[in-house]
Amino acid sequence: MKRPLVFSSKPNKAGSGTRLGAVAAGCLALLLSVPAVFAEESPERARDLAYGWALYNYHQGEALEALTLLNVARERGGIRGHGDYPELVEGGLMLSYGMTREARELFIRLLEDEHGRSRVTLAPEVRSQAWFYLGKVFYLEGDYQLAYENLQRVDSSVLEEADSELYAEWGYLRAQLAMMSEGFRGDPDEQTGGQHSGPWAHYLNYNLAMAEIADDDFTAAEQSLRELIEAMQRKAPKDELISEHQALLDKSRLSLARLYLRDARFDEALVLLGAMPLDGVFADRALFDYAVAAAGQGEMQRALDALDALSQRELFLPWREQVPYARGYVLEQMNQPREALQAFTQAAEHYENRGEELTAARQALTEESLMARLNFLRDSDEIITDSYGRLRVTPADFGLSEVLATEPFQQALGELNELYRMQALLAQREQQLGTFETMLETRRVQRARRSQEAGIELEQQQPDEWIEAQNAFRANIEAALAEEDAEFFMTTEQKALKARLGKVAATLAQLPDDQRTARQRKKYQRMKAYFDWSVANDYGVNRWAAQKQLRELSSEMEQLQTQRSDIEQLMAGDSEHEELASRLANNAAEVQSLTVQVDEALAQARNILISRLDNALEQQSNELRRYRVASRHAQARLADQLFREGKSTEAAND
Amino acid sequence: MTDSLKTLVAGLLVALMLFMSGSLLAETDPAEDSKAVAERVQDLKKKVIRLNRDLFILEEDLLFPASTQFAVFLSVDAGKFLQLDAVKLKVNGDIVASHLYTERQATALERGGMQRLYIGNLKTGTHEVTAFVEGIGPNNRAYKQAATLAFEKGTDTAALEIRIEDRSSDYQPMVSIVEWE
Repeated sequence: MKRPLVFSSKPNKAGSGTRLGAVAAGCLALLLSVPAVFAEESPERARDLAYGWALYNYHQGEALEALTLLNVARERGGIRGHGDYPELVEGGLMLSYGMTREARELFIRLLEDEHGRSRVTLAPEVRSQAWFYLGKVFYLEGDYQLAYENLQRVDSSVLEEADSELYAEWGYLRAQLAMMSEGFRGDPDEQTGGQHSGPWAHYLNYNLAMAEIADDDFTAAEQSLRELIEAMQRKAPKDELISEHQALLDKSRLSLARLYLRDARFDEALVLLGAMPLDGVFADRALFDYAVAAAGQGEMQRALDALDALSQRELFLPWREQVPYARGYVLEQMNQPREALQAFTQAAEHYENRGEELTAARQALTEESLMARLNFLRDSDEIITDSYGRLRVTPADFGLSEVLATEPFQQALGELNELYRMQALLAQREQQLGTFETMLETRRVQRARRSQEAGIELEQQQPDEWIEAQNAFRANIEAALAEEDAEFFMTTEQKALKARLGKVAATLAQLPDDQRTARQRKKYQRMKAYFDWSVANDYGVNRWAAQKQLRELSSEMEQLQTQRSDIEQLMAGDSEHEELASRLANNAAEVQSLTVQVDEALAQARNILISRLDNALEQQSNELRRYRVASRHAQARLADQLFREGKSTEAAND
Repeated sequence: MTDSLKTLVAGLLVALMLFMSGSLLAETDPAEDSKAVAERVQDLKKKVIRLNRDLFILEEDLLFPASTQFAVFLSVDAGKFLQLDAVKLKVNGDIVASHLYTERQATALERGGMQRLYIGNLKTGTHEVTAFVEGIGPNNRAYKQAATLAFEKGTDTAALEIRIEDRSSDYQPMVSIVEWE
């Protein structure tokens, strides 16, 4: 679609910054109202801590923090208990953080699937409003195709019932888009199928008249403007819209007066301009046009008075540069050649000086000098922005007011600010990564110390000797088992008894072989037989007990071995540390790469901004050159005329 | 000067004026490079969010491992009976966090937001948490209330919520500490 230049001068253009703020506010208000409207589907209390925390930042307008938290939550498995609402909130946050394209994709995914159904249960009016705001964001960004697509998704009857003002604005935007389209046939109502009323209709009619002027259809434009003025005079709006209404009315009168001036209908122009208030937004321009009309009418004194009044205005505006030349012209028309000559001389000097100033300003044009020409509204150190990152700025040098009011300049300024904020954030992150590195190193050192201490403690327990002893014990048991050596498995008691029996046998061997000894030896034999029988009898139990102990010992030894190997493994390397260190390195690389990218984008944004300003200054410079040349010509002409008149007078006197 | 000449000069002035106004108001279409920068900025924003996310997770993994992590959140349900001013948090008798609320923060809480008041590390076992809430209560009277909770910290992340609710039975605010599973 081609955008005709004439629409760029439409009266709502100057307020686009404010309007974007209003869109943002509207958008956020809409999304904030979502949980309230759908209390059943979307509980007011957060059911997920991550969501509640993101909302805390969201409600404070801290879009970056809230978006980060939603991303963290997604990385950790998502937000539970809120369905798709977190994504809807994310879409709103993206809009306020200036990620319009991402937001659009998200909204389309959420609000409409391939069958035209919505993934989230939204009331039709909320859905229509969401599409409207998205469409308007793209319209203000100058992306008319996307604006058209999103505005088309609005359900007109639903929107009309839900919000009549929004509906009127929706109609206006569609009509504007229709006017910009190549197939525009002169009646936006016919093409959009809508009827327009209220303030938006006035704007639309004004823009239609401007389109007619652009098509050189001055008669139609005159008729349109006359009807518009009549309509606006007939019906005054509500209190809050009065100043806006008056400004548009004045602008319409001014445009109509210029059409009269174009046709040399000075008397009609004078009547129209004379009725305009002196304290209005367009009072200065009306005053100048009044001077032109009065001059055309031959009422030079009135023209001069108007120009003198304008000359005394202190505020500099580029268009007012024509006043010094016009003064000279009017004085000349009043047949005051000396005064006119003086006025043209002053005008030429003024243009000369101003031209030099502009040349110097262009030569010394840097970002700093540009910023010095702007006043930013600040909250402590931060520049205040609207929800879309557009800066609250007014020109310190009013020569910049026209260029500053343009949407591309506002966008470029906002982007530059965003990039600076990103640069600051990345510097902060770099510092944070430095701290993380220190923490990680401290953690590694502490861990190494603890591992070393554990290693020393382990060595003190002499695990190798224990392992050797266990192996020897196991070998003995296995050998005894193979030989079925019952004595090996005797209990401590049995071993003591065996020792006592051995002592008794030794004592008996030393005793004389008498009857008493024989009795005792018999008794010993009985005891020994009983002992041997009991050992053989207990063999199974004793063997089992020994094997059990061996198993327990083996298990303990296994645990010791595992612990030992774990400690040795931990001492040899730290996989967690390595994983964290690798993440840290990746993040550091990412910060570096982003820093470079931000720096490049900054340079690009800075160049664009400065070239826009340079173009504006060049344009001013060219205008000034034209006025300077015209003033010099008039000065030469008048000087020559006065000289010749002087000569003639002298000759007459002679 | 004749009338026709006057008209001609006035016409010239008008033409000059119209030309100038037109040229000053003329707005160049957003150039391709402007669009490229805008898209680049959007892309960078996406990357910055991703980086922020990674650093956030890395910081928690580094400083507050899941096995010892302990966080305390604060929420305000409705907030009709209390204008929140300040909150102080004690863990096992030590003050670990205190916060003074701005109007914007208090409003964000009333709208359903939850503030992470504190994050730290705790060993497994029993711990005691006390929250002191100050503000302006009903009838513009200074309001002060404390709530305590003894809880068992296991080997997983522990999260508590200091909940400030409106109690309709006596039109007073109520403070409680709730453990999140």
